[in-house]
Amino acid sequence: MQKYDAIVVGAGNGGLSSACRLAKAGKKVLLIEQHNLPGGVASSFRRGRFEFETALHELAAIGKPGSRGEVYELINVDYGIPINWVPVPDLFRSIHINDEGKIIRDFTMPHGRQAFADKMELYAPGNREAMANFYKLFDESKAALTYISSANGSPSPKVLRKKYPNFLKVGSYAPMDVLTALKFTDAAKKIMGTYWSYMAVDLYRLSSIFYLMMVGDLIDGGAYITEHTSHQLTTGLLEAFRRFGGESWFNVRAEEILFRDDRACGVRTTQGTVYADHIIWNGNPNMAFANMVPKEVIPERELKLANARKFSARMFVVYVGLNKTAEELGIKDYNIFISPGLDTADEYKRVGKMEKIRSTAALCYNIANPNIGPLGTCQMSFTMAYSKDVWGDVELRDYVNLKNEKAREILELYERATGASIIPYIEEIAVATPWTFCRYTSVPEGGVYGYEAAEWDNCMARMMSIDRDYKIKGLKFTGAAGPRGDGYSEALLTGSLIGKMVLGEMAKEGK
Amino acid sequence: MSLKIKIGKIGALDMLKFSKMPDVRERAIAAAPANPLPKAYASNAKAELYHPKWQTVVIDEIRPNGSDAKTFVLKSESGKALAPFRAGQYISLGVKIGKTYTTRSYSLCGSPEWAYQGVYNITVKLEDDGFVSPYIHDHWQVGQKLTISSPEGHLYYEPIRDCKKVLALAGGSGITPFMGMAYAIRDGFEDFDLTIIFGSRTEEGIVYRKELDEVAAVCSKVHVVHVLSDEQKDGFEHGFISAELIEKYSAGEAVTIFMCGPQAMYEFLDREIEKLCYDFKYVRRELFGAIKDPWNQEGYPEEIRGKSFQVTVRQSGQVYEIPASADEPLLVAFERAGLKAPSRCRSGECGWCRSRLLKGEVFIPEKTDGRRFSDVEYGYIHPCASFPASDLEVEVPAEYLNLE
Repeated sequence: MQKYDAIVVGAGNGGLSSACRLAKAGKKVLLIEQHNLPGGVASSFRRGRFEFETALHELAAIGKPGSRGEVYELINVDYGIPINWVPVPDLFRSIHINDEGKIIRDFTMPHGRQAFADKMELYAPGNREAMANFYKLFDESKAALTYISSANGSPSPKVLRKKYPNFLKVGSYAPMDVLTALKFTDAAKKIMGTYWSYMAVDLYRLSSIFYLMMVGDLIDGGAYITEHTSHQLTTGLLEAFRRFGGESWFNVRAEEILFRDDRACGVRTTQGTVYADHIIWNGNPNMAFANMVPKEVIPERELKLANARKFSARMFVVYVGLNKTAEELGIKDYNIFISPGLDTADEYKRVGKMEKIRSTAALCYNIANPNIGPLGTCQMSFTMAYSKDVWGDVELRDYVNLKNEKAREILELYERATGASIIPYIEEIAVATPWTFCRYTSVPEGGVYGYEAAEWDNCMARMMSIDRDYKIKGLKFTGAAGPRGDGYSEALLTGSLIGKMVLGEMAKEGK
Repeated sequence: MSLKIKIGKIGALDMLKFSKMPDVRERAIAAAPANPLPKAYASNAKAELYHPKWQTVVIDEIRPNGSDAKTFVLKSESGKALAPFRAGQYISLGVKIGKTYTTRSYSLCGSPEWAYQGVYNITVKLEDDGFVSPYIHDHWQVGQKLTISSPEGHLYYEPIRDCKKVLALAGGSGITPFMGMAYAIRDGFEDFDLTIIFGSRTEEGIVYRKELDEVAAVCSKVHVVHVLSDEQKDGFEHGFISAELIEKYSAGEAVTIFMCGPQAMYEFLDREIEKLCYDFKYVRRELFGAIKDPWNQEGYPEEIRGKSFQVTVRQSGQVYEIPASADEPLLVAFERAGLKAPSRCRSGECGWCRSRLLKGEVFIPEKTDGRRFSDVEYGYIHPCASFPASDLEVEVPAEYLNLE
């Protein structure tokens, strides 16, 4: 019988980070992964001369030397992975283009507080004070979160009220409420709201704190990517895990989580059964409950929670390798958010249907990282997220044509918005639909962001409920479906947090 | 000036609202039904039909094709549809010969329409010095069950990328992906103009002659030009497929070139196509296959030729000690030793066999090095395209397919 201290199922960002956290603490850890690569969606693939990034647009919380962010501290310092982070030149460009092809707004925002505020004043005059107050609120909220996490989940209400009153006041509101309270003009709100598509929830239903943290961190620390795709990051994480003494099995699928009475005790896999007192599942809890766990061990509350939640961000991505350089094609921006620039609640509704594609986050990797591919080429990706499982209704027979039709729509949208011609220069193209994400990662509906972090289930509420959720002995969940929600930074940090929680339980159990 | 935000109507109660968030959340959870959870969702179910890891088929019919090939009609065991494919894609099939578990990939040469009826066609050419094709020719019988992969590979028409006119350069049994494309055009699955320039030794040896003629007769978008190397006959081009023939049949139009055939043909055509100065964008070829003469490849360490090395293989908690020849891909050493190692393309491209090299040196010909950048950085190899150059220690992922 093979017995481990912990078994981590799934080598996505969250699983890898949990596995590293436990193995670094000297625990005997087995990591199993159904695919033959680590990373889940955080990966890469080869086509012809190109290696394509699968998912990463940008990471916050890396920071600069002297003021490093949380993710840098975790990856480079704590796990000791020598990732060379490549800075993204500007924060973003955003083009609002209406259905008739008319450009309504076009703005490019830099990182750095002063530069961002100055540029804001240029595009949306009269927001100096709002910007200054935004920074104050960001600083206060960041300090409050640091205090809360240092207080081990039981912060003093008195301290919170005294030192972080604004944080408490805005904490239960949505980003749009806070932008209004800060007296941003409508034009400025359009700029401040650009990142909503990274959360795939409109600005009326997100946690303002998580949104402000993301925007503030990006303005302060800038955005980063890895030098050689996400595969470098996740292979690096796996390497660190091995260095800490961890064991990993690839191409091995979990078939059942085994229980002894009401406690998880092992995993039946395609390569035999393995045992541990702690199982960490890097996947969607709904899928684990439906397929991996005996019904009797699921508490009614967890079943209700699973029923109450919605999956988030079913991705559609077009990857292209072009046989001309970005310069030759007149491409100057790393990332451009293209959308009609409507109210975010309306845009969210639109991506709940199989409509003509009107919005995308378009990237040209070479702008940030000139050495990513072969000389004389550049590579791009175009992403949009569906808010419902609309691809689930597509017939097998229609799939290829629809995929190509949607790919053409998204490429033509980019060409219309920027004036750059790219389609004639496509040397390689790959299109990922929600089915593709289902195929490689088994996420429900191809939704790579876990659960929608909206309204009652926003990330702030989740973090405050962390001790109430998933009280199943010996079983924890990590990754994008976790308390901090989606995104690379969040999954990596959640992985570490879940690992720490398991270490805490192990200490209590006297191991 | 300190910040004093005013937000919401309830003012002072905002803080209370904050601390009540977990309770609000509990109420939302309590109000939800406790229904059993779906085992799968619509997109997941479709993805499983489109990309099954493995499929089980039964040989329904075997017929000779040309002088040294056989076509196998495979039917799904369940009678239901097989996974759809893009014309030009291949399947990898698992074969157990003695104690050896191995795989081979074959292009799907039927119409994509037939997959919906539960039928695939593959054509296997007999390689006299081969290991698997003689076994298949001798042993496979109607009624036999086979385990095959989902359709794989990237040699297919992409309307956004490729020219409206495609020149398909085929050698011998390399016609198979283009047979699939011809059917796909006829049956409305693809829309492009396909001219197949098809090299065979003799008229008699032409694979799929009848089927190609039939499709070309009813479909104005499919054209076939036969090129015979060993015979000179009216109505046939003579010699090898050359730059001149490519120019002649592209007739001044922009073309995308697809190639499928033996390695010697690729090497010859690479030089021919170079004369025409085509950009990478316009030239695509099928899997190269395992390199048979590593000693003729650039950078080969001559001193290892003919040598045998010891390999320690770690796989899902097990350890094996096996011998490995420097003249064969490492994957073959696994298979000779009876290990079950994953593989599909066997050409260094798909990465299905990706393994971690823990100790030792391998020789990887550049032509079939399809690794990711960081795999090179972190010491991963594709054993199907890596030749042992010293004693080795490797960690190999599992293969969870069970062949009886």
